[in-house]
Amino acid sequence: MNLRHREPLLWSAIVALAVAGFWWAGRAPAPEPADGRKVITWISFITPLRDYYEAEVAAFERAHPNVHVRIIWAPQSEYHMKFKTLAAAGQAPDLFYSGDVWLRYLMPFMRDLTPLVKRDDAEIGLDDYFPPIRAAMQQDGRYYVLPETTNVALLYYNRRLFAEAGLAEPNEAWTWTDLVRAGQKLTHTERDGQPGVWGCSRVEGWWGEWLIYVRQAGGKVFSPDGKRCTLDSPEAVAGLKFFAEKSSRYGISAPAGFEPLNGFVNQRVAMIVGGHTNYWPNYNQVPALDWDVQILPAGPASRRGGELAIAGYAMSKTARYPEETWQLLKFLTRRETVAEVVARGGIAVRRSVAEAHLRNLRPSDRPRHMAAVYHQMDFADPIPRDAHFIELMLKIVQAEIDRMILGELTPEEAGRRAAAAANAFLATFGSSDS
Amino acid sequence: MNARRAQLLWFWLFAGPAVLGFACFSLWPMLYSLWLSFCRYEVVAPPAFIGLRNYSYLLKSDPAFWPSIKVTLFFTAVQMPLSILGALGVALLLNQPVRGRGFWRSVYFLPSILPQAASAAVFVYIFQADGGLLNRVLGLVGIAGPAWNTSPTWALPVLVIVSLWSFGYPMVIFLSGLQSVPRELYEAAHIDGAGAWARFRHVTLPLISPVLFFNIVMGIIGALKVFDLAYAYGAAQGLEPGGPARATLFYGLNLYQQAFTYFHMGLASAMAWLLFAVIMAITWLNFRLGRRWVHYGD
Repeated sequence: MNLRHREPLLWSAIVALAVAGFWWAGRAPAPEPADGRKVITWISFITPLRDYYEAEVAAFERAHPNVHVRIIWAPQSEYHMKFKTLAAAGQAPDLFYSGDVWLRYLMPFMRDLTPLVKRDDAEIGLDDYFPPIRAAMQQDGRYYVLPETTNVALLYYNRRLFAEAGLAEPNEAWTWTDLVRAGQKLTHTERDGQPGVWGCSRVEGWWGEWLIYVRQAGGKVFSPDGKRCTLDSPEAVAGLKFFAEKSSRYGISAPAGFEPLNGFVNQRVAMIVGGHTNYWPNYNQVPALDWDVQILPAGPASRRGGELAIAGYAMSKTARYPEETWQLLKFLTRRETVAEVVARGGIAVRRSVAEAHLRNLRPSDRPRHMAAVYHQMDFADPIPRDAHFIELMLKIVQAEIDRMILGELTPEEAGRRAAAAANAFLATFGSSDS
Repeated sequence: MNARRAQLLWFWLFAGPAVLGFACFSLWPMLYSLWLSFCRYEVVAPPAFIGLRNYSYLLKSDPAFWPSIKVTLFFTAVQMPLSILGALGVALLLNQPVRGRGFWRSVYFLPSILPQAASAAVFVYIFQADGGLLNRVLGLVGIAGPAWNTSPTWALPVLVIVSLWSFGYPMVIFLSGLQSVPRELYEAAHIDGAGAWARFRHVTLPLISPVLFFNIVMGIIGALKVFDLAYAYGAAQGLEPGGPARATLFYGLNLYQQAFTYFHMGLASAMAWLLFAVIMAITWLNFRLGRRWVHYGD
C-alpha cells in the first residue's frame, strides 16, 4: 500500500485520537486530592462577601474533615453561561446559586430536596422561614432551594425632601392617589441654584416597577395555565397606563431617559417604587441621604403585587456526594449565615433572625422602618414561574413598554403588541407547563 | 521512498497540525452549528430536530429579528462610508511631509487600541440627557438637547458617532497604500497641469483602489457583525444592551443574547447561518462590482 492509499487511514487515526483526547479531557472528573477527601464543587458569583464565604467553607471543612470544597468563582454576568457550559460538559457543580427567579429555568439541573428537608426539618426549622419565603422555595409543593436572603419590592423615600415639602411621611394606608399627590408636591424645577427634584423615580429597562402596577390593577402576565400572555387584559393595561402616566399625565417622574443619574442617592428623586435591597449599602455610604422605606401603596384592585425574590442555593441532580453536598447547603443557609447577611445589609428570610434584627436596631440604622420590610412580605408575590419569564420580559415585552413610555404607543397598543409577541414566542418555544 | 512520497509526507507533516486544528475548531463547530440550526437545543437537554421551525420563527414571528436587521443595515449604510471617508481623509493628511508626523499617526491610532468598554463609559457621560457634557454645551446656547442615549431616534446615531471615533486600522492600511503610489506619477500629472483634485481623482484613487476595496469589504463585514460596541454601551448605562425599544439591537448582539443569555443555541445557529449567507452574498457582490473600479496594475 503506497502512502497515498494509506493517507485516509492515517487521517482517520489522527482524528480518532484527537476526538478521544477531547472526550477524555472533557469527561474526566476533577482530580481528587491526594489525601482522599471527598471533593464538592460550588459555583458562586464573585461577590463582596467572597472573603466571608471562603471563611465559611474553611469552617465547614474543619467540621467535616473528610470533605474538600472547591469553589468556582464566576463574574455575575457570566455565571449562567459558566454554569450551563459545565453542565453541558457533564460537570455540573454539586452546589449552585439559585433563587425563585431562576428556579424554573434551572430546574432541569436541580435535585428535589424534599426528602432531605423533611428528614432534617428539626435542624433546618422550616417554620422559621416566613411563609412567602417558604412558598418561594418550592415548585409544585417540592423543595428545591434553601434561601440565604431575599429582596422585597418597597416604597423608598427621602425623609429630608418630604420634610422640606411639608409632607407627612408615607404610611401603610397609602394608595396610588397618595403617591401621585405627594409626588406632585415633591416635584419642582431648579430653584435657588439648586437642581430640580422629581417626586418619583421610574424604573426603565426591566419589569421592576411596571409589573407591580399591573398586578395591583388586577392584571396578570400569564393566564392561569401559564400558556398565554395576558398583558392585553383591561386590568393589565390599567397598570401599564398608570406607569406611563406618572410622567405624561401626573408629571411626578422624569420623561423617559431624563431621570438624573443615581437620582435617589443624589437626592434629586424623592421616591422609588420597587427598588432593590442590593442598593442599601450604596445608600448608606452617603451620610447626607436620610432615607427610609414603607410598604407599597395600594392599587385600585389590590395592595398585593410587589415582587418577592429569594436568593439561595440548590443541589445538582448529578452531585457526586449528595449527603456531603446537603450538609454544605444547610451550613451555608443556617441561622448564623442569615444573621451575617442581615448584618451586612440584607433582609432576613428567617423569622428568628428578623426578630433579633428588629430588637437590635439602632437609631442611626437605615432603613429605620425595618418592620415595613417584613410587613410587605404579606403582600408580596414571586414572579410567574415560567422558564422563559426573564427572556419574555426583557427581550420581547420590554421593548413595547419602552415605546409606551416614549409616547410612541398607547398602553392599549403596548399591551396588545407585547401579548401578541409573547404568545408567538410561547407557541414556538412552549411555556414551562407545555 | 521516492521523491513524490517524501514530498507528500513532508507536506502533511507541516500542514497536518493546521488542517487538524481547522477541522476540529472551525469546520466541525460550523457543521455542528448547521445541524443545530434545525434543532431545538437549549443546553439543558439533548438537541431535538425540529426542521425549519427556527428559521420560520425568525423570519415570521420573532419580534426582534427584523428590527435587528434594520438596525444593522442602517449602521452599515451610514457608519461604513463615514468611517472609510474619515480614515482616508486622515491618512491623506498624515501622508503629508509635516513635522511630528509619527506623533500624529500615533494620536489618531490611539482610540483603536482603547478598550471598547472604557470608551463606551466616557461617551455615555458625554451623551447623558441630564447633566451630560453635550447637553450642557447645547444648554449654553439655549438648546434643550434630547435624551441621546435613551431615545430610539437618537440612540443609534449616537452609536455611529461613537464608532467613528476609532478608525485606526483602515487609516493605517490607507497610509500603506498611499505610500506605495510612485512619486513620478504625481510629478508627471503635475507637469501635465493636473491640480490637486485631478491628481487625487486620476492618480491616487485608482492606485489605492485595491486598498480601498479591501477596507470597504472589511468595513461592511465588520459593521454587519457589530456586537461589542452596542453591548458595552448598553452595559455602561446599566441597561439591557439593545435598548431602548430595540433601537440598538444589532444582529450580532441579538444573536449573542439568543445564544449566551437565553441559551437558544438552535435559534442562534440559524441566525448565524443567515448572517453567513448574507455576508457571503454581499462580499460576492462586492467582488463582482469591484472588477469595474479596482485596478491591480496588471
